Amino acid sequence: MNKGWNRIVPYLLIAPSMLLFLVFVLIPVIRIIYLSFTDYTMLQPPVWTGGANYMKLAHDPVFGRAVANTAWYWLGTVLPSMVIGLVLAALLTVRLKGLAAFRALIYLPGVLSSVAVAMTWLWLLDPLKGPVNRVLSLLGIAGKNWLQSPDTSLGSVIVIGVWTGMGFAMIVLLGGIQSIPDSLYEAAALDGASGISQFTRITLPLLQPILLFLFIVSTIRSFQVFDLVYILTGGGPANSSTTIVTQIVGASFQDYRMGYASAMAVVLLAATMAITLLQYKLGSRNTGME
Amino acid sequence: MNPTRTERLTAYLILLLVTVLAILPLLMTFFTSMKGDEEFAAGAARLLPDAWHPSNYLRALQMAEWGLFFKNSILVTASAVIGSLVFNAMAGFAFARIRFKGGSVLFLLLLIGLMIPAQVTVIPQFLVLKSIPLFGGNDLFGHGGNGWLDSYYALIVPELSGAFGVFMARQFYLQMPRGLDEAAYIDGAGYARLFVLIYLPLSGPLMATLGIFKFVGVWNDFFHPLIYTNSPSMRTIQLGLQVFRGENQVQYNLLMAATLLVSVPILVMFLLFQKQFIRSAISSSVKG
Repeated sequence: MNKGWNRIVPYLLIAPSMLLFLVFVLIPVIRIIYLSFTDYTMLQPPVWTGGANYMKLAHDPVFGRAVANTAWYWLGTVLPSMVIGLVLAALLTVRLKGLAAFRALIYLPGVLSSVAVAMTWLWLLDPLKGPVNRVLSLLGIAGKNWLQSPDTSLGSVIVIGVWTGMGFAMIVLLGGIQSIPDSLYEAAALDGASGISQFTRITLPLLQPILLFLFIVSTIRSFQVFDLVYILTGGGPANSSTTIVTQIVGASFQDYRMGYASAMAVVLLAATMAITLLQYKLGSRNTGME
Repeated sequence: MNPTRTERLTAYLILLLVTVLAILPLLMTFFTSMKGDEEFAAGAARLLPDAWHPSNYLRALQMAEWGLFFKNSILVTASAVIGSLVFNAMAGFAFARIRFKGGSVLFLLLLIGLMIPAQVTVIPQFLVLKSIPLFGGNDLFGHGGNGWLDSYYALIVPELSGAFGVFMARQFYLQMPRGLDEAAYIDGAGYARLFVLIYLPLSGPLMATLGIFKFVGVWNDFFHPLIYTNSPSMRTIQLGLQVFRGENQVQYNLLMAATLLVSVPILVMFLLFQKQFIRSAISSSVKG
């Protein structure tokens, strides 16, 4: 065996991954931080403007709206999905028949593409022909144009977000619950602990790292919501459902204000990093994934 | 836990309720896709169609260039899955099994990548793709043309990188017994042969999980094709579906047929590989 050759083999093995990583992740991140301090329309080279983009962002009412909407989306999707997911996961650990079927069917909406999900709900919520308004009218309630009214557009997107996200929360928590050793429950049962108190005294405390992990992951995902909003409402009407990422895409690829959009992206990156670091800080390295 | 009868019944009822909420929209999508035009226009509020029209699917297919969209999606997804699996396995094996200078620093660098959302890098990635030299009318310095934008490269090449995949592969190879390597060294095999002849054939479970993860990510991706392509001939099915909706606003029965057609590959894979779906869901959350 050739010793010299063997020494360069590891570098050859990591070369494709590292090269792609540099070109498509690491350098882009550095570049976007640079661009966020410039004016750049892609027609001319970037012009350094210091913190001007960030100053403008701080006073941009539409971006403010986007941040607020993203926060509402976060509040409206993360906690409800987690609570529903926890209840379902707890129920699925009770020995019942047909568990696998329940688990698969509840997770099913989560595997569909966001476009397919959006199309399904465009139909369900169609103001004239959609089933939701029809059922409401049977009950004597006047329907709405859910996706195109400023007061219901964001709420509708949130409900759809929960519909697709609850199965994911369930799956993650189910994995966590199943990793808790049976012997703990057996011992508790011998001591006469009821199902509920077993849940609150054993399951919940041991599930804490997973709950934190799920919370962080869902939070980061909610910060990045784009597809559903873009297809269902386009961020409208009157910016009532616009989010940070729809603003980034609008400013960069529709208005060609690359520098300004980069500043928004850096804000998103900072928020994501902060949340991720918080996770490490809270000591959730051991999430019991393996 | 050993539930009482009432507990068991309550559990079933709640599960049943949520299951209905989860799949009723999908069933309605299916039933709507089977309704005839007249029945649909007349606006009958019934769940089930009066008469079943499976031919809706054929009509929906003929109303847009679905053949092309499917071809694009299959090509892009297959290339991304195969390419990323090979690259992930190579790097994962090197990081897990070989001690080399700079290895741990480079791996640490890669770990930072786990924290960076795709939505953040899309602007500079777009600029990188636009300025690939000597492609799409570009000169040697990447000026003048569109580079890789609006081509298969734009949809495939960025997908081949993945801090997450390398990380998972490394974890997988770390768990393997040391004895494997020693037997090979005694036989005089180098790292390259060790990887190809011994580790790669043992990588089935890793490949299944990472493969499903990539497949779902790329097949379902709407964001990147939307931004990196614009000509109709480059449309993937997710983009095609969105455009199809704009062109056929009223005909929900056909739109729902198209929606289900686009979802069939994912649904089939889900039925076949449920275990890997669940495992990749749990591990994909690392990526956020």
